[in-house]
Amino acid sequence: MSYSVGTELPTLKIGEITKPIIAEYSRAAKDLNPMHTDDEFAIMAGYPGVFAQGMLGMGFLSRHIVGICGVGKLRKIKVRFKTLTWPGETITCKARVTEVNGNLVTCDIQTENQDGEPKVTGTATFEA
Amino acid sequence: MIDRNLIGKEAEPGHVTINAESIKEFARAIGETNPLYLDEKAARAAGYANIVAPPTYPIAFMAESMNPDLFIELNLDITTVVHGEQEFEYQRPLVAGDTLTVHAKLADAWEKQGRSGTLTFVVFEANAVDAANKPVYTSRITLLAKQAQEEIAS
Repeated sequence: MSYSVGTELPTLKIGEITKPIIAEYSRAAKDLNPMHTDDEFAIMAGYPGVFAQGMLGMGFLSRHIVGICGVGKLRKIKVRFKTLTWPGETITCKARVTEVNGNLVTCDIQTENQDGEPKVTGTATFEA
Repeated sequence: MIDRNLIGKEAEPGHVTINAESIKEFARAIGETNPLYLDEKAARAAGYANIVAPPTYPIAFMAESMNPDLFIELNLDITTVVHGEQEFEYQRPLVAGDTLTVHAKLADAWEKQGRSGTLTFVVFEANAVDAANKPVYTSRITLLAKQAQEEIAS
């Protein structure tokens, strides 16, 4: 695959985020924060209920980029946890090339919901 | 107030050995199907010593590998701490069986006036090296915390 600035890379559809998916990530990531697994706790803290870990979104983004560049080719990934991801939202990963420097390709990356609202946003650099 | 004198302070190094079953569990949790993350034979056939960890896997042992003393010294209101940003730079893929030493430090800290009071930002940088003391990855984690109520009142 050849890369040029402005190219939209193929998207990765993650699908609907559910409470079991969020709970499974908590276990796997050893994330003890009850905000992701205990609705009552999240409500007491002022939220409508549990929400996804920002790092779950970053995990999806790394999966998306490695799916394109291959294992061992990702050099750097940096994200900001912009808005929360809620159970019931349908998440898609997107990437757009912003820089090509020799064999290094840098992209703007984001997860977004079914309405195109960005959730986890950032940049990734990989070896082409 | 955040003690800016703590910027640059290093935590006691942490140690961790990367476990294959934990990698697999993590890979499944992010919906991975790549056999290099899940199947030892496939990973060995591709030239790796064991299964490879997905890029964000270090989050799963971050707490275990980072000495909490430095975090405690910052005296943040733990109930308000939010993960704001995360960055990883990779020198090579992490593989099951790797034994890492993680050198963490407080890379930066600052305060900002937010809509609901003063926000404290802290950045922890962690450099992981393998048994041969070769770099594996660098992590930078930015946490946000609201300033404790009693502190605002005083």
